[in-house]
Amino acid sequence: MSSENKHESSTHHLREYGVQTPGTKGIPGKRRYSMVIDLRKCIGCMSCVVACKAEYGVPLGVWRTWVMVADKGRYPDSRRIFMPRLCNHCDYPICVRNCPTQATFKHAEGFVLQRYNRCIGCRTCVIACPYNARHFLPAKRTNNNLPKLVVDKCTFCIHRVKKGLVPACVQACVGGARIFGDVNDPKSEVAKLTAKEKVTVLKPELGTSPSVYYIGGDWEIMDETHNYKHRSAQQKAEFNTFKRNHHGDAFADIVEGENTMHHVGKNMSDFLASIPHKFHDVVAALKKLLFA
Amino acid sequence: METLITYNAVHHNPWGTPITIYFWLVGASAGSFVLSAFGWVFGIKRYKPLALSASVLAIGMLMIVPVLLIWDLGKPFRFIYLMLPGYWHGTAPMAWGSLLILSYPVSMFVYTYFVIKNDQKWAKIIGIIAIVLALSTHWYTGVVMELNPGRYINHTPLAPLLFLTGAFISGIGLMILVLWIKNFFMSEEKKIKWALMEEMAQYMMYGIVFDCFLLFLDFMQTQYGTASENIGHHEVLMNIFFTPYIMLETVIGLLLPLVILCSPLKRTRLGVYGASLLVAGGVYGMRIWWVMGGQYMQSFY
Ligand code: SF4
Ligand code: SF4
Repeated sequence: MSSENKHESSTHHLREYGVQTPGTKGIPGKRRYSMVIDLRKCIGCMSCVVACKAEYGVPLGVWRTWVMVADKGRYPDSRRIFMPRLCNHCDYPICVRNCPTQATFKHAEGFVLQRYNRCIGCRTCVIACPYNARHFLPAKRTNNNLPKLVVDKCTFCIHRVKKGLVPACVQACVGGARIFGDVNDPKSEVAKLTAKEKVTVLKPELGTSPSVYYIGGDWEIMDETHNYKHRSAQQKAEFNTFKRNHHGDAFADIVEGENTMHHVGKNMSDFLASIPHKFHDVVAALKKLLFA
Repeated sequence: METLITYNAVHHNPWGTPITIYFWLVGASAGSFVLSAFGWVFGIKRYKPLALSASVLAIGMLMIVPVLLIWDLGKPFRFIYLMLPGYWHGTAPMAWGSLLILSYPVSMFVYTYFVIKNDQKWAKIIGIIAIVLALSTHWYTGVVMELNPGRYINHTPLAPLLFLTGAFISGIGLMILVLWIKNFFMSEEKKIKWALMEEMAQYMMYGIVFDCFLLFLDFMQTQYGTASENIGHHEVLMNIFFTPYIMLETVIGLLLPLVILCSPLKRTRLGVYGASLLVAGGVYGMRIWWVMGGQYMQSFY
């Protein structure tokens, strides 16, 4: 059985809940798994990022979770602040609403999950997610059995949670900044923290009702527009280098400060070059069939 | 207090050039189809001679669309999931679009068949259905990005109107060019009359004026709107997408043709054909900033 099928069978029973499970936050008798991230405790060590990469073999250049870093103030009154990011497992996920094939769905207990064998790789959900929590898997993977050319995302480690463990990033967090649990259960730590502390979420105005809460959040790192205006020169240079050198998928990688139309053309040639990869598996299967 | 973002993960903008071309093709197709229907559906007799060329052009352009869209998928063979019961997802704009992109060409084929058969009654009935589908298909290309509240540049109810107006003018522009070329191969009595071309150019001019008005509305919204809309306009569209937004769409695609079509040049062949070429190409600029510009800001978040 390929890993894609394994994934399907492990989540098959979840399908009966439907893709548009209504929001369950605060509804008695329902579970709503959530995460609280105490930014006062985050030291920016990136252990969570590494743990996640190792847990799922997340390819180079894409992330299920990452940590944003900002420098606040001027020397000597300066401070470095961090903000871990991941899928918010929204109570009202736009990605689920906009996926045309029901490949992504919301589990009754709050996990927003991906079914690789249904995903057609249209990237509508990537466009829909306001938090950049989704990524497209490349055509070449170190482990050939892992899914390719479909969209992937954080699963809140449902496979661990169902066995009574916490997600890999929570387990690995050295500062104890990430806390996981059922926010509907008043006895859980996340419920106590969200009740006691001042918590914020990302882009609350979009109506997604995120399930990742931040304690001690700083608006200057949380706000997208502010963020965009205050990128460091090094940040811009890193983005531009990455986008300029990226080949192989039909992504709109426009490089700031360079001729836009040139990159529109480059994007088209990348698209053409990516086509054979998409047929690679089918051609291999046909060859096997014909020459067996 | 100054805060600088010093590290963040790098994100791609998932939809690229193939999607911009697709939006342009669907638009031009819908525009030319409307022209085709002038004669058979709306009963304007002088448009009947160009009906067949217009619907063939519309079908031809639409035939390229599935190839682009299907190859753009990560799993091209799974495109069929977009239409299968049990997979089809009613809340997703793309699911509506997949049905429209399927049914629109079918209705056009049937319409063209009745046009060739010279069957006025059925050409009109099917033509009405096809017009609704043509407009809906293009309306859908507007809303597929609009219905994402996180894409500030795209999240405006003007989207479908901007798309439909662009479709109308680019469709006419392209049609004028095709008829010009076609006239070279036609006998004198079968040639499309110059007066008709001039009239089409006139319609194109009305469309351009309306498009400028829509752009102005959008501009005002961004100036008095939220920080995201404002920064999106100033730092993304006016800066990174200056070439497609200002040069290609506004100057080449709208202002220059408007000047030509408001001047005595509109009575010359050079003026009409030149303006048509500029409009047809300029509308592609809108497709670029709409698709790529709409995704740009968020790739840094
Ligand atoms: S954060 Fe994005 S991917 Fe995660 S549930 Fe919300 S919309 Fe979907
Ligand atoms: S890429 Fe896959 S999960 Fe995302 S919208 Fe398309 S089919 Fe759905």
